[in-house]
Amino acid sequence: MFLPLRCASPFFVLLFACSAAQAAKINAQVSTPAGEPVTNAGVYAKLIGASVPTVPIREISIEQINKEFVPLVSIAQAGALMNLPNRDSIRHHVYSFSPAKTFEIKLYSGVPSKPVLLDKPGEVVLGCNIHDNMIAYVLVVDTPYFGKTDVKGRALLEGLPAGEYEVYLWYPGGSMAQPPQKLKLGANDSSDVKFNFASRLLPQRPATPATPPATGK
Amino acid sequence: MILPGLRSSKLENRIVVFFVVLLLFVQLAGFFAIRYAIEQSARSNLREDLNVGVRVFKRMLEQNSQQLVEATAVLTYDFGFREAVSSQDRDTILSALGNHRDRIKAAGMALINLQNVVVADTLAVDSTGKQFAFPELIAAAADMRRSSAIRMIDGTVYQIVVVPVLAPLPISWVAMSFVIDDAVASDLKRINSLDVTFIGKTGNSPAEIFATTLSPFMREQIRGFIDNLANQPEMGGTRTLAGEEFEMLSVTIDRYDNKRIFALLQRSMRDGLRPYDSLQVVLLFLAAVGLTISLFGSMRIARRISRPVSALAEAARAVAAGRHVSVSAEAMRQNDEIGELATAFDNMSRGLAERDRMRDLLGKVASPEVAEQLLRQNIELGGEERQVTVMFADIRDFTELCETLSPHDSLMLLNRYLERISGVIDHYEGVIDKYTGDGVMALFGAPIARADDPERAILAALEINRRVRELGQELAREGLPHPLVGIGINTSRVIAGNIGTASRLNYTVLGDGVNLAARFESLTKRYQVPVVVGRETREKVPGLVYRELDKVKVKGKKVAVRIFEPLGREHEIDAVALATLHTYHEAIEAYRQRRWQQAAASLAAIRDQPGYHRVCEIYLEYIRQFESAPPDQTWDGSFALYEK
Repeated sequence: MFLPLRCASPFFVLLFACSAAQAAKINAQVSTPAGEPVTNAGVYAKLIGASVPTVPIREISIEQINKEFVPLVSIAQAGALMNLPNRDSIRHHVYSFSPAKTFEIKLYSGVPSKPVLLDKPGEVVLGCNIHDNMIAYVLVVDTPYFGKTDVKGRALLEGLPAGEYEVYLWYPGGSMAQPPQKLKLGANDSSDVKFNFASRLLPQRPATPATPPATGK
Repeated sequence: MILPGLRSSKLENRIVVFFVVLLLFVQLAGFFAIRYAIEQSARSNLREDLNVGVRVFKRMLEQNSQQLVEATAVLTYDFGFREAVSSQDRDTILSALGNHRDRIKAAGMALINLQNVVVADTLAVDSTGKQFAFPELIAAAADMRRSSAIRMIDGTVYQIVVVPVLAPLPISWVAMSFVIDDAVASDLKRINSLDVTFIGKTGNSPAEIFATTLSPFMREQIRGFIDNLANQPEMGGTRTLAGEEFEMLSVTIDRYDNKRIFALLQRSMRDGLRPYDSLQVVLLFLAAVGLTISLFGSMRIARRISRPVSALAEAARAVAAGRHVSVSAEAMRQNDEIGELATAFDNMSRGLAERDRMRDLLGKVASPEVAEQLLRQNIELGGEERQVTVMFADIRDFTELCETLSPHDSLMLLNRYLERISGVIDHYEGVIDKYTGDGVMALFGAPIARADDPERAILAALEINRRVRELGQELAREGLPHPLVGIGINTSRVIAGNIGTASRLNYTVLGDGVNLAARFESLTKRYQVPVVVGRETREKVPGLVYRELDKVKVKGKKVAVRIFEPLGREHEIDAVALATLHTYHEAIEAYRQRRWQQAAASLAAIRDQPGYHRVCEIYLEYIRQFESAPPDQTWDGSFALYEK
């Protein structure tokens, strides 16, 4: 387990440092059995048999805009701090009853003074107690190598040191039934990983018409 | 149907009873036909109501479950509850469940984790860690975010609602149980007016009744057939329970494993028909009114018929008894057949009265027997020529006698004579044609002819003579005058018939023979004999002894007629009298042959014999005249009679 690090380094500095030091990449492609891309899926790789180089842990921020959490899906390394700035004129009461992180910030506006520490890996589902339709998913992983699929179902994992990896797929709503894919990466390797999303998908934003069409119930 | 105080006859009763019974029949038939139609319509309405009621019932159950689902969902959104749930502390969770269960007034509340394992259950506290009994409800809730079903748990039926605890994704399931009991059934009944019974059946074991609106008694009544009912998915029909008809329908409301839960909906036919009760009352009222009207109407009509009929019957009885009554004017005023009958009866009665009067009159002028016969045979008293024996009986010199008596005494005397004479004529069945002042004219052979008419006439004449002599002795004893009677009888063909006008008719006879009889009567005075009969009469009655009186030429007649005095039957005359008669007849024979001396000698010989003095004197006078002036050659031995 990583120790929680309090790191306030800017996002782009970290990215630069990583890409400069490591060269291996994983190109993940997540699609449905029908070949349609699956967006907002998380892909993360765990280095096996070697210690992960210590890197600064990035904070994440999930804003509340128009009674929606933005972004809907976030991935964070364990130990990351989660900011929950309220951009709406109304207050929100953000909570999570997920075992990975249970917390509650009672009705507030603006930026809460204390960010939430995501100390345990696992899925944290955020809700607002006074707006039942608000939902956000945060996957807390104990690896710094993760990515989120874009609208084409692609996720790029960069700056991976050479070694053996287990690549996991995650989808909001706790669908982690797929076994991880194992692969070996040399320095500067670029490996393609394909996931076929076979399991049932939970709606990402239940009962909200503004969300992209659900892939299932 | 006789009302007290009403005078009613048999006919009246029968008419009234007939009409009332007829109307009663018609009304009863109508009443039952309407009742039948109403009942049929009500039955079909009731069936339709029941079908609608079943749809309503199903919808109500749905709504009910929907409301429970929503309420439960709202309840599970409670943040504190979610906090309690996420606390993982069983006792906390259990008490929170109890608290929320009470908020919604449910029977029980359970928390089930996403692996279908019971976290806590207020209904079964020791079920923690066990698989939830109804995983299908959770599966349905996972699909639909909520589910609701009816389940049996330990002899009770629950509506179980399963909703997820959202945070905001499902973190657990909540199962809320609402008991379905009699109160719920009553609530349902309040809305659709149907009796509801919730029944559950497991496999082949007997069906159980979980909740009902029925009374305990009715609950036992339906227990007998619900097992059968359970084998059919939806079954309706009419059933009689404890003498009351019910329209019922069973509806399956849930089914799982080998269990089936259904509801039996029923409605009492009596309740369904209650709205028609008032209609029946109206019908009965109308029937009663109609019956009353027809009762009085038929009584009135019956009386209009029977009263005149009774009156007529009474009048008829009176007529039969010989009284003549006029039928009541009321009956005759009636402008119908009854009135006609009354009028006809009245006319008949008057006709009978007329006839009776006629018979009375006839009885006075003829013997009652003859009158009776006349009436019975309905003899047409038209003009006809027939042979009749006419009798004239006259009291001799009565006019002169009257001068010595008062009018009253004269009449009394006359009537005493006429009474004797009439009696004898009646006895011999003569018909008194008329009273001619101091005499009687009687007919034998008219209007009814009989072979012994002449004989009866003669015998009557002899009897009259005898009776008048008796009367004479009576009158002599009373110191009253006692004249003799002269009787003339002649038999001849005469015209018989009604004479006069239509209003006043007189049956009589006309002809020369009648006049001749009158002449004969007057001749009795000349010959001083009681009875004078003509030759025709004598020839028709041969059994008598006659004395020839003379041969007379009546005024206006060319031919002379022989006249005789009947003396009696042969055996009544003694030998001396017969010998005298013989001598007399020989003398007359001699006289007619112009042997005057011989005739005169014979007459002189018998002139002192009783009854011969006058005739002998007459013949001796003839002889004296002819001896001085003999008759011419044409003389036929007759004597021309010029006086009346």
